[in-house]
Amino acid sequence: MTMIGPTHFLFLSAILFTLGVFGIFLNRRNVIVILMSIELILLSVTINMVAFSSLHGDLTGQVFSMFILTVAAAEAAIGLAILVAFFRNKSTIAIEDISTLKG
Amino acid sequence: MVTAGKRNWLPISKPTRPTGKERQQTMIESLFFYVLSGVLVLSALMVISAQNPVHAVLFLILAFFNAAGLFVLLGAEFLAMILVIVYVGAVAVLFLFVVMMLDINFAELRRGMGRYLPLSGLVGTVMLVEFFWIFSKWTSDTAAVAPHMRHAPLEVSNTHALGQVLYTHYAYIFQLSGLILLVAMIGAITLTLRHRPNVRRQEVSRQVDRHPKDVLRVEKINSGEGVS
Amino acid sequence: MIPPVFVAPSLAVAFPLIFLAGMSLMLLLLGVARKTEDFKSVNNLAIFSLLAVAIVVARFSDERMEGLNGLFVSDPFAILMQIMVLVGAAVALSMTPRYVERERLMRIEYPILVMLSTLGMMVMITSNDLMTLYLGIELQSLPLYVLAAMQRDTVKSTEAGLKYFILGALSSGMLLYGCSLLYGYAGTTNYTALQLALTAEAGMAPGVVVGMVLLMIGIAFKLAAAPFHMWVPDVYEGAPTSVTAFFALVPKIAALALMIRLLSGPFENMVDQWRQVIIILSVLSMAVGAIAAIAQTNIKRLLAYSSIGHVGFALLGLAADNAEGARAVIVYAMFYMVMTAGAFAIVLMMKRKDRMVEQIADLAGLARSQPLVAAAMTIIMFSMAGIPPLAGFFSKLFVFQAIIDAQLYALAVFGVIASVVSAYYYLRVIKVMYFDDPADEALDRSNDPALTGVLTISVAVLLFFIILPTSVLTWAREAAAALAQ
Repeated sequence: MTMIGPTHFLFLSAILFTLGVFGIFLNRRNVIVILMSIELILLSVTINMVAFSSLHGDLTGQVFSMFILTVAAAEAAIGLAILVAFFRNKSTIAIEDISTLKG
Repeated sequence: MVTAGKRNWLPISKPTRPTGKERQQTMIESLFFYVLSGVLVLSALMVISAQNPVHAVLFLILAFFNAAGLFVLLGAEFLAMILVIVYVGAVAVLFLFVVMMLDINFAELRRGMGRYLPLSGLVGTVMLVEFFWIFSKWTSDTAAVAPHMRHAPLEVSNTHALGQVLYTHYAYIFQLSGLILLVAMIGAITLTLRHRPNVRRQEVSRQVDRHPKDVLRVEKINSGEGVS
Repeated sequence: MIPPVFVAPSLAVAFPLIFLAGMSLMLLLLGVARKTEDFKSVNNLAIFSLLAVAIVVARFSDERMEGLNGLFVSDPFAILMQIMVLVGAAVALSMTPRYVERERLMRIEYPILVMLSTLGMMVMITSNDLMTLYLGIELQSLPLYVLAAMQRDTVKSTEAGLKYFILGALSSGMLLYGCSLLYGYAGTTNYTALQLALTAEAGMAPGVVVGMVLLMIGIAFKLAAAPFHMWVPDVYEGAPTSVTAFFALVPKIAALALMIRLLSGPFENMVDQWRQVIIILSVLSMAVGAIAAIAQTNIKRLLAYSSIGHVGFALLGLAADNAEGARAVIVYAMFYMVMTAGAFAIVLMMKRKDRMVEQIADLAGLARSQPLVAAAMTIIMFSMAGIPPLAGFFSKLFVFQAIIDAQLYALAVFGVIASVVSAYYYLRVIKVMYFDDPADEALDRSNDPALTGVLTISVAVLLFFIILPTSVLTWAREAAAALAQ
């Protein structure tokens, strides 16, 4: 069994990032899952930051991750609020259904 | 176990022939890493493909728990804690709340999902291969910036070390993140709060302002006359 | 090692930021205490504080100062860009009250979110660290998502907010991944230190290049440069018009400033890598701006595509990578703001029988019913098309000069072609106003002095720039020179 080094964490974060982006493309109609995919992307960035922070023995990455988590929470709150407002008007959360705006 | 920011699992800091105890420690670390990251990847996969968004949220929570475990492995205990508290405790619950509050036809939303599968699968695979290629030959060069780095002090715990910089060196950013949370609050209230005119509310200030003299009248009622 | 003692950063450098944050909090309290009927006074106070901060910023010393533990930087470039952003936000707010009254959007959160977003832009412009960059971008964007969805009882507005949010959040994710790769290579997030670490050799490392490109893509989303522009037309059309005016005027300037700051700072030694990215963004934006706008019938969508095209021209100046180029971009951004303010003043005036209309066809016959407004629109459209002697011509001219100095002749030729093609749809608007017969009654006369004022100033600047060009150009040159240090 090989030693676990930062590279392993980087591979893991790459997988998570890809899954997040993939999730957005896969669920183009379902906004809730899109929001969760964005959370996955942010989680992958956090893992990256912490792994690099460990690699360099430097705290900056961990501080950055903390702020990413804070902002992600704020972002989720706003995203869900907009989603709720949209749902009240449209009674669906599918963004593809929308023909009022040509996109 | 790994302590605050110590890089004891880095190959360079290891002696060439590990002692038995060290080998055992490495084994345990590897085992933890593979179990945690395996579950993390699987639950992330379930998040994006689950039939039911409630399940997706629950898998998201599982993913966060495993990521917290990985942070402990990396020596970032404080982040592991806030990941559980903030993410599992607040964000995921918020998601769950919204999923249950909105009456969504999930089957309807999944219609046409397979349509994007081949293309997005291709894009995803290409991205993954590229990232693996980048990371497999990762180099870093910190020689030029050594004076700018802030190394984690080894003698204090991770939380202590973060606290030392968070409110001093990064005070500006700390305040900015406070403003961002304020914006989130204003935004959520602006978009979703509705004042209904017909609802009876408790108004504490009015209750406190009320004085017996203004609202109570003591009358003497003579027997046989009643209240006028 | 971090010294355990607390070293108080000198707060004086951040005074404008603190002042604006404090004012927005005070106005929030005021608005909550006096309930929502007091929209106008909150709005006026917001305009006043934005302009006051602009004056404070203008009084800042011209020296380059790093502050707040290296997280913050102030130099003539930052000062000029901050003033532009602050004045732009004040202009956008001054155009709101009548519109907001009509659309029943009189909510005190509106000006407060605009102020907080402007604060985020100031943080972006004065950032000297990837962390400040990220938090600035988020503080700028989150209020914008809410503002787009502000008309919460209409599908159009909430949908615009949702689309904007999803693409914005995705772009933040990409930007962050880029930041993490750069941090992984260099071990720091400070621009000054990154500049030392990201040498020309570092430009060979694939991780660094991918990190830089992801970071640039994230900013290109905020800048609305093609191919990351898909949200722009929808959001411009769906958001309330006064909010659209703010979107068009201000956030792009901040994103552009950030891009210039990064390319001339941390990425200075990686020109060969980023120049290709900038050229692709620029060429695609010019093409999209020129071609997609032709088919538009809605004036807000037309202005959306026109803004994409303008971003393409501005990026062209960046591709030149010389002091001329930076100056040209700054001048371009200034006149873009002036033209856009005027154009949106007219869009906000467009109403028939007291209802807002936004089709280009609704402008038919304007030359007869309101010849002055039609003349103003003509001047703005000519200026956008780049016809001499209006200011828009000179801003394009400076960009082309810069690229020709940098010997990028093919790009210059492409720019000229895009400019000619886009002249077609600007001229079409003029044709509709002067030669088409109105299908319906004439548009109502505007009685909003704020809109008339903005329009008059905008047209005056566009017309008379040729008489007094030196002060603007000197200012821009000083700002551009500060970047090269």
